[in-house]
Amino acid sequence: MAVVAVVVLHALAIQGTGFEPGLLVDGWKGMAAFVADAFPPDLSWDKTIRPGLEATLVTLWIGLLGTTFSVPFALLLAVLASRSTAPHRLVYQGARAVLSFFRAVPDIVFALIFVTAVGLGPFAGVLALICHNTGVMGKLWAESMEESDAGPQEALRTAGANRIQQVANATLPMVVPQFVGLLLYRFDVNVRSSLVLGLVGAGGIGLLINQSIKSFRFDSMLTHIIIVLVLIIVVDQFSAWVRRKLAA
Amino acid sequence: MDSPLLSVRGLHKSFGNRPVLKGVDFDVRAGELLAFLGANGSGKSTTLRCVMGIAQPDAGVIAVGGDDLGSLPWRQLQEARRRTAMIFQKIHLVPRRTALDNVCAGALARIPTGRSLSPLFFPRSVQQEALECLDRVGLADRAFDRVGRLSGGQQQRVAVARALCQRADIVLADEPVSALDPHAAEQVMALLQHLAHVEKLAVAAVLHQPDLALRRADRCIGLLHGATAFDLPSSEVDAAQLDALYAPDRVVAT
Repeated sequence: MAVVAVVVLHALAIQGTGFEPGLLVDGWKGMAAFVADAFPPDLSWDKTIRPGLEATLVTLWIGLLGTTFSVPFALLLAVLASRSTAPHRLVYQGARAVLSFFRAVPDIVFALIFVTAVGLGPFAGVLALICHNTGVMGKLWAESMEESDAGPQEALRTAGANRIQQVANATLPMVVPQFVGLLLYRFDVNVRSSLVLGLVGAGGIGLLINQSIKSFRFDSMLTHIIIVLVLIIVVDQFSAWVRRKLAA
Repeated sequence: MDSPLLSVRGLHKSFGNRPVLKGVDFDVRAGELLAFLGANGSGKSTTLRCVMGIAQPDAGVIAVGGDDLGSLPWRQLQEARRRTAMIFQKIHLVPRRTALDNVCAGALARIPTGRSLSPLFFPRSVQQEALECLDRVGLADRAFDRVGRLSGGQQQRVAVARALCQRADIVLADEPVSALDPHAAEQVMALLQHLAHVEKLAVAAVLHQPDLALRRADRCIGLLHGATAFDLPSSEVDAAQLDALYAPDRVVAT
């Protein structure tokens, strides 16, 4: 029965998305021409590489601020939205609803809203990522608190500690490694999201890639993609290094 | 004889339709180490959890220093609770924090909330007292080590130090040595005995090692199916009584 349901769902999805591998086979020449146009990548320093590096730095800053500035909001909402730390059931439900809202609205929609307030540029991207990341990280943190060992919290409760003291001295210290791991994961995701936000005017390397495609400068596009690839690898290595340090 | 620091009368507790405690009575006096013995499910841990307020008893009187907890106003109830510390089988320390920070946490009830959000803000007097508590359990030299790097026996001694930093005069220990090797178990039991006999605290421990209980405790209470089977000085507990606790079916059969 379950297998039949999965097959039916996939059939509907294939129909709904116009999924047709034949088109890919027929159109491979167009793709090959597109890739061929991108080679060799444009390696001119002043025209492509330097602006690319500068824009990549902006992308990195958007991802960084979008992640770190959402920490206080995500932390507060996570504490209120975790069964083990919420002061009341109604507060718990309310905090879950707020997190669901921030998570449900895509960062690109937040970016479009903030562009109308603060204009085009990286600032709108940072604001968008703060909002969306608060929703996602708050939920992930709340769940990791619910899954953590409640023993130390119970021990402090029996010792007469109030709820805030229990959270600060038992619950949160118990989940620090998970919190940092999730924070790094979100930083990684946000750096890549800030690339996409560049397409709607939030600046950074995403904007340059968009401009390269629109002006048929596929060789510049390839150079920018290579820079992005290096950025992603560096961020990934950094995350892995911090996780190793935490585990030690 | 001194009046008991902790006195429990007619303690009843059921989980759903299943009665777990059917009228448990006991006293613990200052300077006394009491051991609870009994098979799994006999109600030993539930008794301690009821006394600590972790589980709510259905009926019975729990008195600390002569005051019935059920009739105390909130503030006095908090003070009575502060006088009672719990040591857990699973230790329940924060492994990433130092032994000193974990011991300081025992004093949270008397630290203003604003100064207890991080160990960095703990008052110096509390840190000094925590260090003295670690010294009392023989771990002053490991004060700045992370708890996760200590052995199981050392971790349980840190938990005892946390109870001391709570300034409790009643210490309840729920299977404090079940997860420890025999040597570490002896050390922890010697420490509990020291707290009772030298520091004059009232100590009650749930134990699954009758031999350890008979050697270390002053008095043993045997629980069978949620009721008191015996309450005797350790020297008067015999093998037949222990058999009746741990293999009641076999005793009946013979």
